[in-house]
Amino acid sequence: MRSLVLKDLYNIGHNAKSMLFMLAVLALILIPTSGAPAYIIVSAVLCSMMIVTTFTFDDNSKWSRYAMIMPVSKKNLVAGKYVVMVIFCVIGSLFGLIVSMIAGLALRKMTFDMEGIVELLILALVALALSLVSGSMSIPLVFKFGAEKARVLLVVSIFVPLAVCFGIYQVLVLLGIELTEQLIFVLLCCSPVFALVWCYLMYCICCRIFEKQEL
Amino acid sequence: MDAILQVENLTKHYPDFTLDHVSFSVPKGTIMGLIGENGAGKSTTINAILDLIHKDDGMVTFWGQELSSAKQLKEDIGVVFDGINFYETLTPAKVGKIAKAAYSRWDDHLYKEYLKRFQLPADKEIKQMSKGMKVKLCIAAALSHKPKLLILDEATSGLDPVMRDDILDVFLEFVQNENHSIMMSSHITTDLEKVADYITFIHQGKVVFSKRKDDLRYHYGIIRCEAAVFDQIDKQEILACRKEDYQWNVLVADKEKAKKKYKNAVVDDAAIDDILLLYVKGVQTK
Repeated sequence: MRSLVLKDLYNIGHNAKSMLFMLAVLALILIPTSGAPAYIIVSAVLCSMMIVTTFTFDDNSKWSRYAMIMPVSKKNLVAGKYVVMVIFCVIGSLFGLIVSMIAGLALRKMTFDMEGIVELLILALVALALSLVSGSMSIPLVFKFGAEKARVLLVVSIFVPLAVCFGIYQVLVLLGIELTEQLIFVLLCCSPVFALVWCYLMYCICCRIFEKQEL
Repeated sequence: MDAILQVENLTKHYPDFTLDHVSFSVPKGTIMGLIGENGAGKSTTINAILDLIHKDDGMVTFWGQELSSAKQLKEDIGVVFDGINFYETLTPAKVGKIAKAAYSRWDDHLYKEYLKRFQLPADKEIKQMSKGMKVKLCIAAALSHKPKLLILDEATSGLDPVMRDDILDVFLEFVQNENHSIMMSSHITTDLEKVADYITFIHQGKVVFSKRKDDLRYHYGIIRCEAAVFDQIDKQEILACRKEDYQWNVLVADKEKAKKKYKNAVVDDAAIDDILLLYVKGVQTK
């Protein structure tokens, strides 16, 4: 599986400059207007979507066929994509966090006190969770419909998790569970764990889709 | 005769095409050429052998084991498809690192030797390479994990004769080791005349024959005759025939017998190309 991850990282390396440029432009636009939280989330989600680009490269070179003649299984190939997606999400969240901190200091919107740092760290965790959820959902879409068609459907991978969150919120309200600040804080801190469980579910769905596919 | 690859009754149905009970074997230390017209089923056969498509029936075994139940067999198989399967921004150096991470027996030194021999710069991007260079890179990558079986699907198509000759030399070197074998599909039959030990001919999804190349070369013949002589030919002896403007071309399995029997006809040696053309464009009787 290491070879599959390595291949994707080498392939995406060429897009790194344009992604950096895009994130820099977004930093200039978003941080002064919408603030650091929006930027960290956008940075993480954008980076997670790079996984779709790796599929485009694979389609162009008919990589999946070749990968299957190497000593890897179809499950390995799917797992490799998830590992790469997690790497992209972590990079995106960290990048957003660091740029937000620097911009916050430069614009004097942030002070280096404990509260400010913890707030940004939690934001980065939430951004990581959101990017993991949306990124992990984009992968089965790509396996099912191909990279080009899936780009159109990517909006699904953003709205379905939001709909799920909204549904859970409604269930909590119905059950009479009050969302206190403390509970929200705990939920936000645990969000990456929930996201990883979601990733595993999506991975299982992907394996089922890919297993049936002919190359 | 130990078979490295055994294909038995391999069947795959598509709405407009059926690969129909294909059977053949690739013995140790030999090169098997898979021939047939475009769309005959060569690539489908290779895809089914490599488990890239689900077969409807039949069995494929490598060293007596099925690929689906023994994934480690992939370490012993090198494959080159028609076209490169690495993205165009990669370089041979990066391809080597990717393959090294995949194969336990990857030999970096050997890979570098192949790159040097094929004059492939390690840092040149694939998009800047010629078709020949790309094929050579694929072959270098396929050979550097020390496989025992090499499977090539139209790998030499589109290359100039000089480059093809270089690559055929590499294949001949590979089978110097008697435990190694090659199965190569190609519609460039002259290449197979040079290197193949066995020829398997697939036509419309079925195996027409799978024979030693020397059997074809030394025994098969083409009777070239006028209609009057054609009428005298025992139809049981005809494998395939085709009427051209002024003569009949008749493929027979025993050219010496035909020479003695039909003295009014010219009996030529049958090149693989001739055999393929007669089966595909003529009337197949057996």
